[in-house]
Amino acid sequence: MPAFIQFFIIVLMTVMPVAVHAREIQLDASVLLTAMDAGGNDNFKSGKGLALQYSYYLKQWLAADVGLFVSDQTFTESGRDVVGDYRASIQSKSILLGIKPRHKFSVPYEVYARLGIQYWQTELEVEEYFNESVPGGKTSATDTGTGYYASLGGAHYINDRVVVQLELRHMMQLDVFEGESDYPFDLRINALSFGFGYRF
Amino acid sequence: MKAAPTPVTRLFKVAAAIFFIYTSVGCDVDSSNNTPPVPTTGLVMYAEANLHESEETAQIAAAVYRDGVPVGLIGGDVFEARTTTQRVLLKDSGSYDGSYAAPLVIDVVQDVFLNVVHEPIEARDDRWYPVDLLNIDPGPGELVGKSATVSFPPEVIITSPASGAIYNSPLDIVDLSWVAIGAAGDAMRVLSLVSCTDGLTRSSYGTVVDIVDDDGLEAIALNNFIFDVNEGSAGIKFISDAAQALLQELLDQLSAGNIDPDFVSKKVEANPISSDCEIRLFLQRQRKGVFDASFDDGLVIGSRSAEVTVNYVSPTPFN
Repeated sequence: MPAFIQFFIIVLMTVMPVAVHAREIQLDASVLLTAMDAGGNDNFKSGKGLALQYSYYLKQWLAADVGLFVSDQTFTESGRDVVGDYRASIQSKSILLGIKPRHKFSVPYEVYARLGIQYWQTELEVEEYFNESVPGGKTSATDTGTGYYASLGGAHYINDRVVVQLELRHMMQLDVFEGESDYPFDLRINALSFGFGYRF
Repeated sequence: MKAAPTPVTRLFKVAAAIFFIYTSVGCDVDSSNNTPPVPTTGLVMYAEANLHESEETAQIAAAVYRDGVPVGLIGGDVFEARTTTQRVLLKDSGSYDGSYAAPLVIDVVQDVFLNVVHEPIEARDDRWYPVDLLNIDPGPGELVGKSATVSFPPEVIITSPASGAIYNSPLDIVDLSWVAIGAAGDAMRVLSLVSCTDGLTRSSYGTVVDIVDDDGLEAIALNNFIFDVNEGSAGIKFISDAAQALLQELLDQLSAGNIDPDFVSKKVEANPISSDCEIRLFLQRQRKGVFDASFDDGLVIGSRSAEVTVNYVSPTPFN
């Protein structure tokens, strides 16, 4: 099991015992439609992702927020330059740790936000093609680092325990490949997510 | 100092524009093969650089052809243009098939050395990702190490006609004069970009007039630039694809990018002879350079140019 996932489970196991005694805890699962931007002429296609988040309400309006985000492999449009044809893709995972304030309107509606830091692991893969006699290939590299995330969402209560959520997310990974390359970049992931929450 | 004007490219573009206009009029020009006039057998080097008057940047274009077919540079092989003080990689696509181009600052007029080099990282540095960490390097190709040298002739100084001179008949003579300081072997030609309007429609096209001697004077009939669509254009030599591309590039440079990229390819809708036309004359002095002995043949040209604009006013009001 990757160390990244192990770390997430450790964080979750640490929080769970506390949550058992809380007045309110919530588990959210969402699918995301993502838009990545690494700057420059990247031209990423839209991608997909999954988020699993666990909220422990410290107060009626404020929860501690722990989560895991996993993106699908997201490709750029193919490019061509003096070297040849190329295409890149990114696959990323993040552990999210922050707060989740909310405001309840008259039942069954609620708005909420998330704000926090993230620890990410991102794999960048590049495919290159030259010509028939000089074939190209694939190469990849992985980096880890920190960043932040913020989101704004709305929830609709289906019943006392189940909510439907629609959320706009912004995740920023800072200095990807800093120290390994002279060309580091910041990776922005904006996403629209749809999911369900279950309250214990 | 200008940011990065590119005289040679502009001249290519002007020439390209002229050609397109010509084809749209129905002249017998084959536009299917946008290649310079290179031999169709063997390994051939083609390079051209133009430095326009008052500009500090030359547009460099280069290509290699094998049996008339462009040879693509791949995997980090790239043309490098270098002077004693400046250097650039030709990473942009040139205006004719298989060519590569880039502007090069010419702070002091001097020879430009062209080399095929293998720069797997620098050739990729317009990409967004860490190209020094992620690249597949096939190693140097067979063209790496080949070279050519472009030499610029003396500058072109036009002394007449005065800018804005007006002519009213295709039979009028444009007395083009310049300071004759070229060396033996230098060639002269005039590229024109003609833009006409009859009040309702517009036309633009390019022509070329070869000048036999660099003697400082050439009497050129205006019918080398102005023609009657109804009577054909047999007396006009429309510019070839490579020159057309050069002219368009030059126009782009002179207008700081504010020229319609298809300016030279507009259709001829207004009949020039019954229109009012602006005729931009680009007088160009060319000097042949040298290419690596490992090439079977080649055409390496350094040129400098100057411009004067005259006008043709139709004797018959078009309204």
